[in-house]
Amino acid sequence: MIHVDLSLSRAEFSLKAQFELPGSGVTGIFGQSGGGKTTLLRAIAGLEPGAVGSLSVNGRCWQSESIFLPAENRHIGLVFQEPSLFSHLDVRANLVFGSDRGKDRKKNNKAPQAAVLEHICTTLELGSLLHRDPRSLSGGEQQRVAIGRALMASPVMLMMDEPLSALDHRARRTLMPFLEKTFQGLEIPVLYVSHSTEEVARLADHLVLMEEGRVTAFGSLGEVLGRVDSPLNEVDEAFSVFNCTVNNHDLPHLTSLISRGGEVLHIPRVDINTALPVRLRIRARDVSLCLQRPQQSSILNVLPAQIVDISEKIRQGSRSIKLNIGGETLLAKVSEYSVQLLELAPGQQVFAQIKSAALMT
Amino acid sequence: MLEAADFTAFTLTLKLAGVSTLILLCLGTPLAWWLSQTRTRGKSVVEALIALPLVLPPTVLGFYLLLALSPTGPVGSTLNSLGLPSLAFSFSGLVLGSVIYSLPFVVQPLQTSFVAVGRRPLEVAATLGAGPLDRFLNIVLPMSKLGYLTAIVLGFAHTMGEFGVVLMIGGNIPGQTQVLSIAIYDHVEALEYSQAHWLAGLLLLFSFLVLLTVYTLNKRASFLSGAGP
Repeated sequence: MIHVDLSLSRAEFSLKAQFELPGSGVTGIFGQSGGGKTTLLRAIAGLEPGAVGSLSVNGRCWQSESIFLPAENRHIGLVFQEPSLFSHLDVRANLVFGSDRGKDRKKNNKAPQAAVLEHICTTLELGSLLHRDPRSLSGGEQQRVAIGRALMASPVMLMMDEPLSALDHRARRTLMPFLEKTFQGLEIPVLYVSHSTEEVARLADHLVLMEEGRVTAFGSLGEVLGRVDSPLNEVDEAFSVFNCTVNNHDLPHLTSLISRGGEVLHIPRVDINTALPVRLRIRARDVSLCLQRPQQSSILNVLPAQIVDISEKIRQGSRSIKLNIGGETLLAKVSEYSVQLLELAPGQQVFAQIKSAALMT
Repeated sequence: MLEAADFTAFTLTLKLAGVSTLILLCLGTPLAWWLSQTRTRGKSVVEALIALPLVLPPTVLGFYLLLALSPTGPVGSTLNSLGLPSLAFSFSGLVLGSVIYSLPFVVQPLQTSFVAVGRRPLEVAATLGAGPLDRFLNIVLPMSKLGYLTAIVLGFAHTMGEFGVVLMIGGNIPGQTQVLSIAIYDHVEALEYSQAHWLAGLLLLFSFLVLLTVYTLNKRASFLSGAGP
């Protein structure tokens, strides 16, 4: 488990974060820019001397009233927004910088450095870059080295601060699969700061929502996203994630997917053939409700659903409605006018029309 | 041609510059590091004090040093009461004067290059398990190579060319305190122009080569323009 209860005051900003997370899996720390995500991450890393409170990670106390473990003793891997490679060292020396340090870690870590290095070079495709000057690498390559360098130190927790946001669109698309590959089979917890719903929908298992230096919600991805009072509704960012598997490409221009609940969904054709689960991100504002199944509609995905919850609050004339579709949660944003007209209420059977769904690949 | 006394002055000058530069590096490194990291208000006061020799006539500095080192001055009387020899008119006194006089030429390039390293590489190194000393030795020092080169060269060269301070506190004792610049002065006073020519030309050539080295190696930015390496 990760217990966080940290606060920090500055002249024009204050951070107050209190939450708990399971000790494994990827946690997305999500919020708008300037919301304190980076400061929270830095405080957890031990890089904010002004942070007070308590912090423990998987049974180890990093900070309390009497303890402040310096960053170098927290055994973390931190990947910053900018790759921040050491310019006076070549790629290989950058990679082994962390694994050369910390004797207590070496004792726990039986795998010899060479083997770990080889494994990381394979995963992140760094083999051909080892003797290069980091300044001669592209932004995406530099960030891969930075990720490898953090992992080489055999950290007890991996932290990433918007690792993709300093890259251009193409580099971002190329780096994403590397992140997924890295997170797969990783036993340590990962904290992933991002302001992109796409990255969170794709990578996170748990979610911490932040706003103006405060944690507004935390929990498993489905749990946080499925709340009708989720702060994400405030900024019209609410979305749901459907876990699916690729079914077939039988229909022209379409790819068919099967959700965990057994529902078939169609999306514009994507050339993907994998037996692994894939994620669909569906925005609440792209979901509308009908009482009867529409007979002639251009909308491809119409699924029978049951209303679970309706938000009490009306935002911009709309309520958010939580639906159950074969055990999966889907959020819909429906105007208050329609809620009254259709007399929508919890427990009711309806049909959810999904205008668009994005496959997170 | 040059006499034996001129060679003595030459080697004495090199020795003075070498010893002073070594001491300057030892003093300048922690001082420059502190200045590059601190945010206290006292920083400006310290910076101004260090920069004083840049604007003060060397004779002013030499005059105060002479007063301080004289047997009745604060430093001189303390040394006297401890049974130590007076520093005035001695090689050690010259070293002390040189260190003060050349301090800004060592501290400023070091400080500039420490600032240029930035916080980020140090934070990365900390998260990778490097403690403060480890970070300084393995991140700051290698990244400040050019700063050190500039500091060493400028400190050394500036000490070599020193005149006013030496004249005030060193006197003109051959083999002890008679450095090149004083020897040149003596030759001119005695109308020995050919020897003065030799020594002056030597110093000119040396200084030019030193500066050429610095500017060639330090192409990216010069300390004088304030951009730092």
